[in-house]
Amino acid sequence: MISIKKGNKRSQEQKCKILAAKPKRAQEEMVGFALIIIIVGIILLVFLGFTLVNKNKSLVESYEVESYVHSVLQYTSDCEDRYGFISIKEMIVDCSEKKKCADGRDICTVLGTTLEEMLDESWKVAENAHAIGYSLNITIRGEPKNDLSFNKGNLSGNSKGYTSIISKRDGIDFSFTAYY
Amino acid sequence: MKAQMKIQQTAFMLIAITLFFALVGMAVLGFKFSDVKQSATELEARNAKLLVSKLANSPEFSCGEAYGNMLHCVDADKVMMLKQNPDQYQFFWGVSNIEIRKLYPKTEGEIECTLSNYPNCNIIKFRQGREGTYDGKFVSLCRKVQVDNRPVNKCELAELMVSYEKK
Repeated sequence: MISIKKGNKRSQEQKCKILAAKPKRAQEEMVGFALIIIIVGIILLVFLGFTLVNKNKSLVESYEVESYVHSVLQYTSDCEDRYGFISIKEMIVDCSEKKKCADGRDICTVLGTTLEEMLDESWKVAENAHAIGYSLNITIRGEPKNDLSFNKGNLSGNSKGYTSIISKRDGIDFSFTAYY
Repeated sequence: MKAQMKIQQTAFMLIAITLFFALVGMAVLGFKFSDVKQSATELEARNAKLLVSKLANSPEFSCGEAYGNMLHCVDADKVMMLKQNPDQYQFFWGVSNIEIRKLYPKTEGEIECTLSNYPNCNIIKFRQGREGTYDGKFVSLCRKVQVDNRPVNKCELAELMVSYEKK
């Protein structure tokens, strides 16, 4: 009689344990399901954010920078030598030789003014504009010419640049970088 | 009984997960399809970019050998003459507008070039269609001028712009 009672008690305890374990397992599964939903949700949000951010980006193309450098160097200035009006490219070479225009103006001064005005007219830099900054540098005999260096705006972040070798013999380079 | 319950539970779970992923997939697809118009515009933009990068070197625009060895050079005199026959080039490039804007030396206001005011103007509208979004590239806009009874080259800084319609 006592052993039957003991047996019943044991089976009741086992039932209680099973009943107590069931909701715990269900809870675990629910937490798992919720975790899957959260992870997928986060992935979806990251994907959406990435696509939306990429769409509004306006890039400065490399052909823009390259064409700008060539077009600037080919520009016919109002400075004349004995053969006629000279280009910016010729002005840079003449500036390195400290020459003057036919009307007596200093070539380096005219060159600096012309380049500054050209940059102002062609690159309207602002934080939300096509370009956020630019840098133009002329190097003569390996040394950067400070009075012919122009930097404007934010010079950090993505950039595209182009360098044109004007004279290999005299080590004259003209480089332009646009930041976006 | 216990095993049946477990199978049932797993089945419900599988159905729930499948439904969830199906909904997510449908949301992504819906987002993508709503973007078709945007993609069409992007394609137009890409075409315009490709065109603008090579247009200056096309025979209709390029300086050729007339101005020496020049890169990214547009012959303004040639473009002004071509501008007189717009019908022949109506669908030739597949973009809505092509224009050249003089940037430097700066001229006040917007003066469209015609045969009567050329070269005292700053915009050459080569092809005029519906207004859209522009893409540009810098060019040397060159022409021949007479100095002391001899022709000399005069090159200015300009932007060659191509516009495409937004879908």
